[in-house]
Amino acid sequence: MPMNEMTSMDHENSRRSFLKIIPIGILAGVLASIGGAAFRFLRPRLSAATGSWLDVALVSELTGPQPVGRKVVAEHIAGWAITTEAHNVFVLPAKNNQVLSAICPHEGCEVSWDQNTNRFACPCHESYFAADGARISGPSPRGLDPLPVRVQDGKLQVQYVTKEPAIRA
Amino acid sequence: MTLPVQRTNGVRAWLETTGGIVALLILVQFVTGVLLAFYYVPSVDHAHTTVSYIEKVVSSGAWLRSLHHYGSQWLTVFVFLHVIRLFFSRAYDSNRIQWIVGILLLGLVMAASGTGYSLPWDARAYFSTRIAEGLMAGLPLVGRMARLWLLGGNDVSTITLSRFFALHVLVIPAFVIAVVVWRVYGANLAEVFGPRHAIAGGVAFLLLALWSLKYRAPLGPSVVAMDADYLPRPGAQFLWLYQSLKYLPGGLGSLAGVALPGVVLLILVLLPWLKQQRLIGGSILGAGVVLVLAMTVASYVSDRYDPNTWRQLSRQTAQEEAWRREPFTPATIALAATRPGNNTGGPPDMYTKFCASCHGPNGEGGRQGRLTFPPLLDVAAKPRRSVDDVIALLKDPTAYGLQPPMRSFSNKLTEVQMREIGEWVVKLKR
Repeated sequence: MPMNEMTSMDHENSRRSFLKIIPIGILAGVLASIGGAAFRFLRPRLSAATGSWLDVALVSELTGPQPVGRKVVAEHIAGWAITTEAHNVFVLPAKNNQVLSAICPHEGCEVSWDQNTNRFACPCHESYFAADGARISGPSPRGLDPLPVRVQDGKLQVQYVTKEPAIRA
Repeated sequence: MTLPVQRTNGVRAWLETTGGIVALLILVQFVTGVLLAFYYVPSVDHAHTTVSYIEKVVSSGAWLRSLHHYGSQWLTVFVFLHVIRLFFSRAYDSNRIQWIVGILLLGLVMAASGTGYSLPWDARAYFSTRIAEGLMAGLPLVGRMARLWLLGGNDVSTITLSRFFALHVLVIPAFVIAVVVWRVYGANLAEVFGPRHAIAGGVAFLLLALWSLKYRAPLGPSVVAMDADYLPRPGAQFLWLYQSLKYLPGGLGSLAGVALPGVVLLILVLLPWLKQQRLIGGSILGAGVVLVLAMTVASYVSDRYDPNTWRQLSRQTAQEEAWRREPFTPATIALAATRPGNNTGGPPDMYTKFCASCHGPNGEGGRQGRLTFPPLLDVAAKPRRSVDDVIALLKDPTAYGLQPPMRSFSNKLTEVQMREIGEWVVKLKR
């Protein structure tokens, strides 16, 4: 008799825990099926850079020893929108019209050209760069990043590429 | 320890699982709703674009949106069935919280559906918003204020869409959570979501998931691209209201669509404290079932058997299918510094310093209180607005017939700076 009781109690216990598993299992199943879709749904979409060539200036107007500040308007494809955004760049007529991005390689602030001290200064963390873009001092890991350039119909053109922070650092 | 009382009588026990189905469908609405919010933008110029993006581009987007769309309709049906089931088991006497929660959920689910319908800002959404506006406006005494408060202004605008969005994703869900917590708090979990509930809910979800794979949530043309002869139709859960409004003169529509449901829900909430419960509750629920079924069938029949209507509805379906096959067209967002036509780079620094606070950072004009400042876009098309004119005007605005607060800048700006501003301003285009 005791044996019999034991088994029926065990049986009852396992039945009970089985009944508890059902709601948890079904909830888990529902959430997992939506969760799989959610993973695909939220996955970041990387868009290749548009890579179009943007006019910077007429080559004929680029002279002198000083860097020349210009704005270029680049298109970014970001999900459901194409955003156009202006970026500051610096042309170095003294260095065969190399074009530097104004983005500081440290944390991404925009540097400005200081005529008095003849250097680029980052307003955020006081990185300084020489007139050719080389790093002088401050937390920036390297000099200002050059951008791909070409000359087309007497116009200097640039491809505006942004670097991910991981690569920037 | 004893198992909670569960009726073992097969069919009856399964009929009492409506609460489990409702619980699971609410969960699905929350999860899918949160996901949709990762892409959706509640503004009249981007809502339709972002919903199209979810439909056409984002992986699993169409399925998740279908789950949310059809889930809301299934949820309405099951909450209604749940209330009927609670009535038959006399929950208004035996478990007042369960009864009141059921009634409140019915109201909240209808409110969530009503506000959610506006969010895609397609043609249907636009008309549904207009109808909500009309229903509010027609209310006795409070109508005028109710309409203004719902719209957030004189007219349906992007503010209205923001209001519907805030109600739909923040206010109503907060109430739903509160009501569900009230129900679950202190209750035995097996009573609220036991194995039978879970199985019934799981089956309902499986069917909904398959349904959503097969049928995509509708998305009409954007409000801008809408034809004049577009025939809007509401979601299945509002067909009864839509059809009833056809039979009622204007003022009565508001009573039938807003006031009557409100009063009915209030009576049902108070049912535990009323006498003649079976008579009152039975007549309300009975009349509700008959009204909803009859009107839903009537709306289908009147659409199906009116040749013109049916032709137009079929045309709309075909247009929607054609639209789905087209590739997604992204919106173009020009950030402030790069308005179209302004290919001059940004404004000169001196413009930003002295002019932008009134005429806008890019010459788009502005307003401060009752003062409005004219935009400078296309200013060169006006007479006497050459670069030299602008320089002369900056020195002596009254000579150009301009009123204060426009003042002379001759002692603030150099000749070169004025020329820089002038050359930039005359290039501004709309």
